[in-house]
Amino acid sequence: MFIKQLSFRNRLFFAASLVLIAFLGLSAISLNNAFQISADKAQQKRLQNYVYSILSAVEFRSNGLVDMPAKLPEPEFSIPNSGLYAQISRNHHVIWQSSSTLGRFLGLPGQLEVEVDGVSNEQISIVEIADEGQFITLTYGFIWESDFGQEFNYTINIAEALSSIEQEKTGFQRSLWYWLGGTGLMLLIAQAFILRWSLRPLDDVANDLNAIKSGDKKRLSKDYPAELNQLTQNINILLDHEYSRRERYKNSLADLAHSLKTPLAVLRGEFDNHTQSSELRLTAHEQLDRISDLVDYQLQRASTEGQSSLQAPVSLGDVISKILKSLDKVYLSKNVQYQFEIRRDIFVHADEGDMYELFGNLLDNAYKYCHNQVNIMIQWKADFLEIIIDDNGNGIPQEDRDTIIKRGKRIDSQVEGHGLGLAIASDIVNAYQGSLHLKDSPIGGARFIIQLAKS
Amino acid sequence: MRILLIEDERQIREPLAQQLQKQNLTVDIAIDGREGLYLGLEQPYDVAIIDLGLPKLSGIEVIQKLREESKDFPILILTARGRWQDKVEGLEAGADDYLVKPFHFEELLARVNALARRASGWASATLQCGPITLQPTSQEVTNDDTPIELTAYEYRLLHYMMLHAGEVVSKTELTEHIYEQDYDRDSNVIEVFIKRLRTKLDPDKTLNPIETLRGRGYRFTLARVH
Repeated sequence: MFIKQLSFRNRLFFAASLVLIAFLGLSAISLNNAFQISADKAQQKRLQNYVYSILSAVEFRSNGLVDMPAKLPEPEFSIPNSGLYAQISRNHHVIWQSSSTLGRFLGLPGQLEVEVDGVSNEQISIVEIADEGQFITLTYGFIWESDFGQEFNYTINIAEALSSIEQEKTGFQRSLWYWLGGTGLMLLIAQAFILRWSLRPLDDVANDLNAIKSGDKKRLSKDYPAELNQLTQNINILLDHEYSRRERYKNSLADLAHSLKTPLAVLRGEFDNHTQSSELRLTAHEQLDRISDLVDYQLQRASTEGQSSLQAPVSLGDVISKILKSLDKVYLSKNVQYQFEIRRDIFVHADEGDMYELFGNLLDNAYKYCHNQVNIMIQWKADFLEIIIDDNGNGIPQEDRDTIIKRGKRIDSQVEGHGLGLAIASDIVNAYQGSLHLKDSPIGGARFIIQLAKS
Repeated sequence: MRILLIEDERQIREPLAQQLQKQNLTVDIAIDGREGLYLGLEQPYDVAIIDLGLPKLSGIEVIQKLREESKDFPILILTARGRWQDKVEGLEAGADDYLVKPFHFEELLARVNALARRASGWASATLQCGPITLQPTSQEVTNDDTPIELTAYEYRLLHYMMLHAGEVVSKTELTEHIYEQDYDRDSNVIEVFIKRLRTKLDPDKTLNPIETLRGRGYRFTLARVH
């Protein structure tokens, strides 16, 4: 579960970090091993070279003893306590020691048996020398044949202090770890940046989608990496398709409704002009009105968008101001005064047409029934938006309030469209999961309270 | 009172024009936006009735262009599109009122009269100057409650002069506002009508409701009673 929820960035980061650590660790181990091996080999070779240089310097006497020149090729053999010592022994007796030993007995491995075939023999061992720590020694056994055909067995021991070699090795290890650690750290940092940078388009998509959700944008932008473009283009196509489908649906409904209106208008004109029977004319008018209202009402119901997160924010201040300006024109002779209270501007995620329809109908109602005053107040309550519309008309009797909101029943059949407008408003409020209440207004008439949920 | 009616639907346009003419209103007809705009720009009108869904030039565009050219006669929108967004758009473009189809002719007439009244500064539905009263919806004219019989053109003339009571109205203006566009106009006829109106309104020659201002036109002298 946890693994499934890991973000791309963390997945990539963890995986790449593990691979990086494993790779760097293994290369450190193998580099270290290779260095150890080659250091050991180099040391053996060096010790052998010392043996050969002593062999080339020594002069064997016929009595089995040896003479050694005062100056040896390696100065370390002559420097006291230099950490490089040599000794030649025969029959377990030391017959020569390099001057660097200062005459101490080193306790180096004794006589080495020369193998049967007469070839010289050598052996590497580690010995402990008092006060000087560990030494690596090469014991080299060989046979020297004198001019008289006498064979003498000799052993050369070369001892070199281990500490200097170990120092060299730890020095190498330390710098190896420094370098690999430093490289690893830099790679991790670089990797973090690379991940951040290459995954940023995903964040951009998420932001863009949020912007679409909140309505700040209509589609995803076009500049994404090729891999994402496929996806974002498909999302855009989907968005466009959805938008055009909605538009087409709305338009065809509106077209249907409007194309019904013209024949209705023609019929009404004909009845006005030609019907002699006033009773027939009255009935025809009534029925034509009903058809027209039904068309209006059902069109409104069908085209009400309702709450959807894919809607651009609509400025309520703007919508209501425009409606008020329009109503002022239409009801010019009534000279209606209005007070519109809104704190800053308030935006709701709703269809603009729905908002025009909702407040158009409610405000038209207020203008129609007020004496001369209409007050509008919009404010945010805890988690909903409250819109109050007051008028100073005669108000609506208690018993009529439910029906007027719920079914759009007309309380005054004389005034055209009264009930219809309120029914439409009520339907829109329902579509947005809001509520519409009717109360007494403090300025005398009706008070409509609309509450819309915070989107 | 001269009215411009722009409506493409013949079955609405013709009966409506007839009904308006029956009300003694002078009606010019345009069947599309372009013709309507031309008439609106060329002729003086008291009120225009404009359908929004017009061919060639939409009603909104016609209204906007008329307002751009500072034609300030009142405009009533006649539309099948009853959504508030459409209404607000139309009113913002410069219209003064709207009526959604299908409509009651009485309502249309009331709105047209109201717009004309409003434009010439009248507040009440009945025009009353001194003892003379003109009721635009019923077309009744009375002098101290005594009905006065007027011919169609006499009524049109009086209606226009009373709408503009107190203002100087030229003969050309009168001709333009009481005759249809293609009518053969003769300003001498106006003089005849004025003379007859004077006799009918003021048989005793005590009121002197219409004064002649030489070279400028006429003025309805009786004070408006609002």
